Amino acid sequence: MAALLAVRDVVTAYGKIEALRGVSLEVQEGSITCLLGPNGAGKTTLMFTAAGILRPRSGSIQFAGKDITSRPPHAIVAAGIALVPENRLVFPNLSVQENLRAGAYQRGDGMEIEADIERLFHRFPRLRERASQNAGTLSGGEQQMLAVARALMSRPKMLLMDEPSLGLAPLVVEEIFRIITELHRDGTTIFLVEQNAHMALKVAQHFYLIEQGKVTFSGDPGSLAEDEVISRAYLGSARQ
Amino acid sequence: MLVDLLQNTLDGVAIGASYALLAIGFTLIFGVLRRMNLSYGPAIMLGCYAATWTHLEFQAGLLALALVAVGATVLAGAYVERLCFAPHRRGSAIAAMVGSFAIWMQLEEVATLALPRHIYPFPVLVEAAPLQFGGLFLPRDAIVSIGATLAACLLLHCLLYRSRFGIAVRAAIDNPMAASLAGINLSSVFVRVFALASAIGGVAGYLIVATHGQVTPMLGMWSTLKGLLAMMLGGLGSLPGAVIGGLALGILESHSQWFLGPQARDLVAYLLLFALLAARPAWMTRWTTTRSAS
Repeated sequence: MAALLAVRDVVTAYGKIEALRGVSLEVQEGSITCLLGPNGAGKTTLMFTAAGILRPRSGSIQFAGKDITSRPPHAIVAAGIALVPENRLVFPNLSVQENLRAGAYQRGDGMEIEADIERLFHRFPRLRERASQNAGTLSGGEQQMLAVARALMSRPKMLLMDEPSLGLAPLVVEEIFRIITELHRDGTTIFLVEQNAHMALKVAQHFYLIEQGKVTFSGDPGSLAEDEVISRAYLGSARQ
Repeated sequence: MLVDLLQNTLDGVAIGASYALLAIGFTLIFGVLRRMNLSYGPAIMLGCYAATWTHLEFQAGLLALALVAVGATVLAGAYVERLCFAPHRRGSAIAAMVGSFAIWMQLEEVATLALPRHIYPFPVLVEAAPLQFGGLFLPRDAIVSIGATLAACLLLHCLLYRSRFGIAVRAAIDNPMAASLAGINLSSVFVRVFALASAIGGVAGYLIVATHGQVTPMLGMWSTLKGLLAMMLGGLGSLPGAVIGGLALGILESHSQWFLGPQARDLVAYLLLFALLAARPAWMTRWTTTRSAS
């Protein structure tokens, strides 16, 4: 089966500093694929490169057979990818509803947009309670749900999630991962970056390990002892 | 005494309405693009000069002149946007600002080459006598200015809070990166906001020259100073602040001129800005810092 997302030899740099030094990986359609690695390994850089915020210096990214390398972020959304960024980045001075409408910006089908908002409120009841409140007043967990819901408003084929559990209480983290599982069951492909390796490995079908800008391991959750994965995810391997 | 105070306040609101429009234009560009456009005043000057030329050549009516003023300002603004701001989208804010400063001079040169005299007459908005009530005089063109400003503010509010475009603009103000991740084409939003700001500036310029009945080459510099001052008095980056700042500036100038003479008019305004910044330096950033998402 051809991969939905194919990243080949991507090099992304900030000035002279190469954050990604030739990253290659694939995300299969219908899967939850997870990218683990220590801080500074390049996880967020890869997410931003895939989402069009950063342009790679070399390499290519293909999505559903089309080349999306170096396309601007709004074109990436049009192609069917939505990123839930690290730290949620909701629009604090827009209401919850307006945040969702912003996520649907590229769509023209008014009635369906309203139906989607209704469906998302059903999935995230706390957002319905706060529909007219400004997003800046929401708690961390609620903002995370809003960020996910906003990304879903564009009806993406693939959801990119950058550290969805960051800064959230354990109960909320469980809820987030429950939602990830639900979305997967409903057919969305998910590419997930996480520091919380334990939770991520429970839901992923495939995972990659990235260390210092290069992929150092690729496999399914059973293939490496969990404690070794976790130590490499948090600390990087001693040999590097 | 009370009548004088009220009259001054009324006069201040009349001129302050135009200042408010100027400040709104600066604020839109600063708030959305996060750039200071120093060619804003000169683009307005070019718009008014185009209207003046139209008046001289064709003796056109007031409405036609208004359309020319707004249209020419939007065109000049588009020129500035493409030349100074589009190339530096991802780059230096300073480079964009300095570029717009250079184009300021270019636009002024073009205008004064086309119409070289120091002063040109411009048709007055309303010829009739001022309205009188309770000892107060309200010039009819002041009514037009205030009415036009109210209409512009209402239009802007509807645009920002009841339209899809408005969501895109406010999202871009809150967090440009998150806005582009949501699928919003920032370049397209920036171009449209620039056009909107230019149109509002064109209206402001037209109201000013039609109220004074004349156009001078100082219009560019003057609009820039008043607009920036009003924006800063109201709190940088806030649209309601721009309106309040504009009205406050107008009222302040009017009272200063009455009590202290015409030389004091500008002096008092600058002194107030200095005092504000000295006492509360955070004033300049209070609207910009509340913008960052958590």
